[in-house]
Amino acid sequence: MRFGGLTALDRLDLDIDEGDILGLVGPNGSGKTTFFNVVTGIYRPTGGQVVFDGWDITGFSPQAIFEAGISRTFQRSRLCLELSIFDNIMLGNFKTRDLGICGNIFRRRAFHKTCAEEIEKAVELIRLLNPALVGSIHRPVADLSMIDRRRIEICRALIGKPKLLFLDEPSAGMTHDETNQLMDEILSMKSDERRLTIVLIEHEMGIIGKVTTRCAVLNFGEKLCDGTYRSIVGNPLVQEAYLGREVTEDEV
Amino acid sequence: MDISLLLQFFINGCMLGMMYALVAVGFTLFFGVLDVIVFSHGDSVMVGAFAGLSFYLLCMYLSPGMPVWLVTLFVSFAGMAFVAGFGMLVSRFVIMPLRSAPALNTLLATMMLGTVMREAVRLFFPDGSNPKPFPRLLPDWSWKFGGALLRFDNIALFIAGGLLIVGVALLINHTRLGMAIRAVAQDAEAAQIMGVDFPFIVLLTFAIGSAVAAFAGLMNGLYYNEINFNLGLLLGVIGFSSAVIGGLGNIYGAILGGFVFAFLQVFGTVAMPFSSAYKDVFAFGVVIVLMAIFPTGILSERQSQRV
Amino acid sequence: MRNTKDFFRCAGLALALFAYLTLFFGAEDEWSIAAYVLLGVGGVIALVSFGALPAIERLIQANERACQALMIAGTLGIIAVFREDHYTLFLLGTIFVYSAAVLGINVQLGYAGVINFSGASFFGIGGYTAAVFLQNTPAPPLLTLLLGGIFSAVIGSILLFPVLRTSGHYSALVTMAFALLLKVFLEVSEWLGGPQGLALPSLKFLGIDFAEDLVIMGNEYSFYVKYDLACLLLLIMTFTFAQRIERSWMGLAMDAVRIDETAAACFGISVTRWKITAFTMGNFVIGVAGALYSMMLSYINPSNFTFSDSLLFLSILLLGGIGSLWGVIAATAFMVVIPEKFQIIQEYRYLIYSAMVLMMIVFRPSGLLPRKPRRYIAGGPL
Repeated sequence: MRFGGLTALDRLDLDIDEGDILGLVGPNGSGKTTFFNVVTGIYRPTGGQVVFDGWDITGFSPQAIFEAGISRTFQRSRLCLELSIFDNIMLGNFKTRDLGICGNIFRRRAFHKTCAEEIEKAVELIRLLNPALVGSIHRPVADLSMIDRRRIEICRALIGKPKLLFLDEPSAGMTHDETNQLMDEILSMKSDERRLTIVLIEHEMGIIGKVTTRCAVLNFGEKLCDGTYRSIVGNPLVQEAYLGREVTEDEV
Repeated sequence: MDISLLLQFFINGCMLGMMYALVAVGFTLFFGVLDVIVFSHGDSVMVGAFAGLSFYLLCMYLSPGMPVWLVTLFVSFAGMAFVAGFGMLVSRFVIMPLRSAPALNTLLATMMLGTVMREAVRLFFPDGSNPKPFPRLLPDWSWKFGGALLRFDNIALFIAGGLLIVGVALLINHTRLGMAIRAVAQDAEAAQIMGVDFPFIVLLTFAIGSAVAAFAGLMNGLYYNEINFNLGLLLGVIGFSSAVIGGLGNIYGAILGGFVFAFLQVFGTVAMPFSSAYKDVFAFGVVIVLMAIFPTGILSERQSQRV
Repeated sequence: MRNTKDFFRCAGLALALFAYLTLFFGAEDEWSIAAYVLLGVGGVIALVSFGALPAIERLIQANERACQALMIAGTLGIIAVFREDHYTLFLLGTIFVYSAAVLGINVQLGYAGVINFSGASFFGIGGYTAAVFLQNTPAPPLLTLLLGGIFSAVIGSILLFPVLRTSGHYSALVTMAFALLLKVFLEVSEWLGGPQGLALPSLKFLGIDFAEDLVIMGNEYSFYVKYDLACLLLLIMTFTFAQRIERSWMGLAMDAVRIDETAAACFGISVTRWKITAFTMGNFVIGVAGALYSMMLSYINPSNFTFSDSLLFLSILLLGGIGSLWGVIAATAFMVVIPEKFQIIQEYRYLIYSAMVLMMIVFRPSGLLPRKPRRYIAGGPL
């Protein structure tokens, strides 16, 4: 993936197995978010291939990729702030709904019924994350705290029952405790959905170690290494990328 | 087609193009520093013309014997200074308070401001609802080339307008002040952190843009020898179109857009001689097509948004 | 309806509102009109300062259906009161038709965020379509109305390509250019009557001639009563339509497209599809309204469909509160009636109302009646 003269992603070879939680780590500007954007279709890759579930989805539109079963959250929360909690969650569940004029405008009785069902579904999902929000699902998202907004974003990404979920730094802007709490919630949700695959961008290594089954380290758009948390923490290349190279006496 | 007629059309196109470019430069400058479209800019042109007329009458009243060249200079500078001051007031009391508002609000607010200016001139300028004769301040020398008439005042206006635009472009691209303006245009917050006086730069930009508009108004008056309260509306839309065709925020784009629009009109007149009114239908039709081909203007960089 | 107490409260409010409006419309001389305006402003200020507004809001929201019925009944009541007054009835009809047209723009701009600076042009296209079909064909009026809408939607679809490719100020320019282009075209087109425009034969429907005075039991009433009823019906249908769009997945999808195109696309919502839907639906509604308006006027010429009229439509939307349906109706009534009632300021009316809208945008940008959070079911929980 190139932007003008800048190569943002290069020789990034990454296999993700079904049911994994893959941690994506790397310093700022190493191409983690760009990787998400390429896979979810926001950027068209200038080269390479994205294969999902046996299908080549390279260069598909974001809609098509969402319909194939890939969903995501954003680094900087992109909820529709003026819309209610329910509306925001509902946005993630559009592919199953009838969007025609007939079903929406003329057959209101049937619409009210499906609407009630959807509200029920959204409530169930929110209850898993924060039961306190159930009572206020018709209030605007703008009133919520950061962690609750993250929760809503995760609900929005999950309600459409994706096969692959990208979480772009879900801990950004939250305290350590909040992050831990959110991760526990994600893990408990994951235990209900064995087949769901998650790719997680995270800076805090402790969290990566706790949550993920596998990690990949990026630097300057290239993959340094991948493997279990233990194997990458010991890898000198990774330490170099994060901390800089240790200067040995010989070189001085 | 007669060659001298073509020449005449070419001269007209150049004059109109210069006028449109002068208006478009203001649009593009304001968009650059504040990301707003100031739609009342067209009416600033009209105010410029009326201010010029008033200063001329004032001159005649105070010292009737003043030499014409002095009167011309006085009228030009006084008119431009007046509108520059007015532009600063507008930026301070209308544009800045709306900085965080949605683009549509600013656009509509400035359209309303334009209506207020237009109506104020119509109602409060003596006999403002009728066209006013504009004095001939430039010598009426002319040369004949076959059937085409080349007038001295046209050349003078064209050169003066060109110098003004070049001056503005030099100011923006090669001075410290211009660098501050460009810095604000790139990133207002970062510029402020680096010590640029943001409110001052905004005021300055509005003063420059409005003064240029005032000159376009004077040029309009001297070219047609008649002004009316309504002239700003169409000039505003055309100036806006020119700035947008060229690519908002790009001063060369504005100049290019102005001439493109003028020659579209001229071409429309030539191609559809049965009714000159179709020239605007043609020009605006082409604008729509151009927007479909170049959705962000002809001279503009494609930006990718951050996700 | 929750209970009878609520019903009487709502009825009381509606009665007060319509009594006020009746007095206002009936006022003849400038002084009494000014007095009524002051009374209205004072009343609103009193309500606000006593903190009664939230309670009224809750009351209306809880009893939405009943309030809508009361509004319709009250409007019919006003029409009945002024059954012999051509001028007032014409004003009322204008309010209804304009409201319907602005509701169309609301679907475009308020829901899907598609900017449209050529609202009056589509209004005019509807009107001219009706005029041409009524003059040259024996098409029934109801069909003509539909044709007006269809034509304006079809011509609008020419603009779709540039409008979809551009955004922000760039698409504003596309619609502006179209507005100017169409105005000039109408003025110079001999086939469409040039600046003089076209005359429309009177509307006949189910054997009723709309141009003849209404005769009920030997009493003669203004023929505008019939037009007002037709216009009111159109407004009610448009209102219901717009409200149902808002309270459906369609409205939600349009909102998502307006607020954040990228995020919407990431959740499988097609930005293009919803922009096209909103733009076309809006133009259809505007076209039908334009057709009915030209029938009521019984003539049509380009001066009614200038760029300033498009601006008027957008100002009404902004004044009422973008996305707010009741706001649109209130703002239309205000913008149509005030200049007509104050003949003394007729000369200054553009100055005054543009200054007013300017103040409004600077000091209360959310409009008179800002849009409320969405509820999918009338009177449902909030």
